[in-house]
Amino acid sequence: MYQDALLLYLVQKFCGERTCSGIYHLLKGKKSSQSVQDSYLFHVAPFFHSCSELSRSCFDARIEHLQRAQLIKPIDAECTRFVLTEDGVKLLDVFPENRLIPDGLKIIDQINEEGRFWLKLQLLVQTVSALCQGQSAFLPVVRQPEISEHVRRLILSGPPTRDQLGRIVFNELYQLFLTMPDDEANSLSALLSGWKASGLTLDQMAEASRRDALECSILFKSALRRMMNLFVGSPDQFPFLSRLLIGRQSSLSKTAETTRKLLQTGLTLHDIASKRHLAVSTIEDHLVELTLKKVNHWLSDYLSTACEQQIMNVADHLKTRQLKPIKNHLGERVSYFQIRLALAKNAVSGRKVVRINEQ
Amino acid sequence: MSSNQSFLKQAQTILKEQFGHEQFRPGQEEIIVNVLNGRDVFAMMPTGSGKSLCYQIPGYLLQGTVLIISPLLSLMEDQVHALRLTGEKNVRALNGLMHPFERSRVLQNLRSLRFLYLSPEMLRAQTVIKALSKITISLFVVDEAHCVSQWGHDFRPDYMHLADIREQLGQPPCLAVTATADEHVRDDVVRSLNLTHPAQIIMSVDRENIAIIVQKTANQKEKTEQLFHLLEKAPYPGIIYCASRDWTERLAEQAKQKLGLRTAFYHGGMDSIDRRKIQNQFLDNQIDLLCCTNAFGMGINKQDIRLIVHFHFPSSMNAYLQEIGRASRDGKQGLAVLFYTKSDEQLPEGFIDGNFPSDEMLHRVLLQLDQGTRSLADKNEFMSVLMEEGVSETAARFLFEHASEKPIQQTYSSLLDPCRMRIKERVAVQVNDLSIMKNYLATSSCRRKFYLRVYHEKLQEKPAYCCDRCGIPLSELMQRIPKKKRTELRLMDWKQKLAALFQESGRSPL
Ligand SMILES: Nc1ncnc2c1ncn2[C@@H]1O[C@H](COP(=O)(O)OP(=O)(O)O)[C@@H](O)[C@H]1O
Ligand SMILES: [Mg+2]
Ligand SMILES: [Zn+2]
Repeated sequence: MYQDALLLYLVQKFCGERTCSGIYHLLKGKKSSQSVQDSYLFHVAPFFHSCSELSRSCFDARIEHLQRAQLIKPIDAECTRFVLTEDGVKLLDVFPENRLIPDGLKIIDQINEEGRFWLKLQLLVQTVSALCQGQSAFLPVVRQPEISEHVRRLILSGPPTRDQLGRIVFNELYQLFLTMPDDEANSLSALLSGWKASGLTLDQMAEASRRDALECSILFKSALRRMMNLFVGSPDQFPFLSRLLIGRQSSLSKTAETTRKLLQTGLTLHDIASKRHLAVSTIEDHLVELTLKKVNHWLSDYLSTACEQQIMNVADHLKTRQLKPIKNHLGERVSYFQIRLALAKNAVSGRKVVRINEQ
Repeated sequence: MSSNQSFLKQAQTILKEQFGHEQFRPGQEEIIVNVLNGRDVFAMMPTGSGKSLCYQIPGYLLQGTVLIISPLLSLMEDQVHALRLTGEKNVRALNGLMHPFERSRVLQNLRSLRFLYLSPEMLRAQTVIKALSKITISLFVVDEAHCVSQWGHDFRPDYMHLADIREQLGQPPCLAVTATADEHVRDDVVRSLNLTHPAQIIMSVDRENIAIIVQKTANQKEKTEQLFHLLEKAPYPGIIYCASRDWTERLAEQAKQKLGLRTAFYHGGMDSIDRRKIQNQFLDNQIDLLCCTNAFGMGINKQDIRLIVHFHFPSSMNAYLQEIGRASRDGKQGLAVLFYTKSDEQLPEGFIDGNFPSDEMLHRVLLQLDQGTRSLADKNEFMSVLMEEGVSETAARFLFEHASEKPIQQTYSSLLDPCRMRIKERVAVQVNDLSIMKNYLATSSCRRKFYLRVYHEKLQEKPAYCCDRCGIPLSELMQRIPKKKRTELRLMDWKQKLAALFQESGRSPL
C-alpha cells in the first residue's frame, strides 16, 4: 500500500533522529521553523504540506500498524523514534520511486502560497461553475473572507459575460490538465466543487479510486504544484487563472521575507528583533530558513568557515544531525545557532546524512 | 374590500410569484396581515413550518428594508442563500466574520437592500447603527426570539440590547419569531423587546406528518441490531443523530458495508471544506444516509428528508423536536425513530457540564482579562484560543459574552459571583430539560400527548400514524412515505468532471 511505503520512506530519511511527530508535522506542513528546517535537513522537502488533511489519530494508527508488522522498530524507550527493520527496507526497495514521489511534488518554490492558492482555486471554480449556469445562489465551500475578496476581484476583472468567463476557465483548466499525468488531473479535478457537482472529500476519492487517502493527497498535491509552476513559468498561456497567483512568489515564509528585507538595509539580527518586537531566537530561525533556501547573503557574519568546518567534522564523526550531541562535543566554542546554520548550509549543499540503521 | 383582504390578496400574489408556493401554511396569513398592519407580533411556530416567509413577504409590500436579527452565522448564510435561490438579489448579511471591505460595501448600499440579516453583535457597533438610522426600516425581525430570555434554553446576552437599538432606529414594528417558548419565556420576550400590545400567534409545536417511534433496547449491541433492522426497509434520505464523532464514522461505515447505502458522516471535527462538501452532496441527493452529531442541521433547508433516527437521545425536548422537525418539511409523511438503552443516560449529563466553563476556568479567565494576558478585542481569537485549551464552544461563548458585559469601572474578577450565579441557574434549567426528556422516553402513553403537555398544549386530533404507543403499522407506513430517485456520486475522469462543472459537454476545447 502506498501509505505504508510513504511512511517507511520518511522513517528511513529521518534516520531515527526525529520523533514520529516530526514526520507528522512534515506531512501536515506545520509552519514551525523546526518542521521547515527538518524538511531540508533530511531531504524530504517535497513532502512538506503534502498531506495537509491527515489527522493525528490516522497517522498514529498507521505507525502502530507498521510497528506491529515489524517493518519499523523503535530506538528509544518511549517508542517515539523509529528506524526500518530489514523487512521494512526490503519492502521500501521494491516500491517504485516515481510512484512514491511523483515529479510534480518536487516543485516546491511556491510552497507557502499553496494553501491559499488551493482555496482560491476551489472558490473560483465553484463560483464560475454556478455563474455560467445562470445561478447566483450556491453554498460556497470556502468561506474565508480574504479568499472571497480576492476571488471576487479576479472575477470582476475577468471577461464581461458569464459565458465567456465559463469558457475561459474551462479552457485554461483543460490545457493545464492535458500537461499532467491523468491520475493527477483526475485527483485534483475530483476535489473541485461546482453547481450540482459537489467535489469529493479525499476519503471519498480514496474509496472510489481504490487508493489510500495519502496517495490521493500526494497525487492531488503533485497536480497542484505543477499547476502553480505553469502559472509562474508561463502566465501568458493561462492569462486568467495565472492571476490567482499574483502577489507573492517566494518560497520564503512571510515573516522570514520581512527579516530578509531588513537585513538588506544593514540591520543586525538584534536590531531586527527589537524593531519587530520578536525574540532573538525567532530571527535566528529566519536566518536558518534563509540559509536553507539559499538566500542568506549574511551567513559569514554569523558563521566563519573555520567554525563551520569544525561543526561539520563533529557532525560527521558522530553521524548525527541532532544539535545536542554536537553541542556537547564542542562546548562553548560554538553556539546552537551556529550549529543550526552549519547544518542548514550543508543540507543544501547535498551532503548525505549517514543512516543509523546501516551501521 | 377591507384593507386586510387587500393585504391578503397582495401577499398571496407574492407567495405564488416570488416564492412559487400555492397556499399559505397555518399561521402564516395571520402573522403577515398583522405585520402589514404595522403591529408588533410575537409568533411561535414549529421548526420547518415557514416562519421566514412571514417577514419575507412583507419585505415586498412595505417601504424600506427588513432587518433580521439572527443569532447563528451558519443560519444567516443559509437564509441569504435561500432568498437568493428565489431570485432575490437585494439581500445581504452583516456579521463579524466578513471581510472589512465587504462590510463597508454593504453599509454603503443599505438603501438598495430589501433584506438585511445581522448578527446581534453587529448592532453594538456605532458605525452600523449610524448607517442604519439613515435608512427606512420597514420591519425589525428577531429570529430565534427565545434567545432574548434568560429562561430560554439558548440565552444570548447580546439579545438584551435589542429593545434599545430598536428605539434608536425609530421604533419600527417588530416581529419576534421562535419555534419553542413556554409561557414564561414568551412573557419575557414580549417584555424584553418592549413589544406594544403585540398580536400573539401561537401554533402547535406538533408536526402531524411525522410518525414517532421510541424504542428501548437491552444494550448497545441490540440497539445497533435494531437500527440496521430499521435501515433495511427505511425511507431515504435520512439522518442519524449520534452523541459522538466516533459513532457517526462507525455507523456510516457499517451502513455502507452492510446495506450498500451511500452514506457519509458529518461532525465538528471535520475540515470545514469537507463539511460543506458533504452538506452539498446531501442537498443534491447524492447521499442516502447522513450520520452526524448535532452540529448538522441548523438552517438546513431540505424538504424531503424522510427519516430522522436518534441513535443517542438529545438532552432536551426542544432539541429533540427541532431535530425530528427536519423530517418531511414538504408536508408528506415522515418517520422519526429514537433508540436508547440504559447506558445512554449518562451521556447528556456530561454535556450539560461541558456547556459551561468550570469554576477554575472561569476564575482564571477573568483574572487573565484583568491582568491583560487575555483580551476580548477579537472574538474569534478569544474563542479559538479557549477552544484549543479544551473549552467547549458554548462555554467559550458564555465567557466571551459575559465578560463583554463588564461595566467600565469594575474589574473582570468582580464578575465572578454573578457568573457563578448565572451558571447555576442555567445548569438547573438544563438539568430540568433533561429530566423531562427522560420522562418522555419512559412514558407509557402517547408520545405526542406527552410532548404537547410539556408545551401546555392539548392533542386535538390524533394523526393516522401517531406513535409507537398508539401503534403504527410499520409496513403500511413505509408504503406511504415517498421514495427518492438517487443520483450517483461518481468518480469521473477529469474531462468528464470539467464538462460537468462548466456544462461544456457540447463544445470541444480550443
Ligand atoms: N406556504 C408555504 N408553502 C410551501 N412551502 C413553504 C411555505 N412556507 C414555507 N415553506 C417552506 O418551508 C421550509 C421551511 O421554512 P423556514 O421559514 O426556514 O422554517 P422555520 O419555521 O424553521 O424558520 C422552506 O423550505 C420554505 O420554502
Ligand atoms: Mg427559521
Ligand atoms: Zn400517539
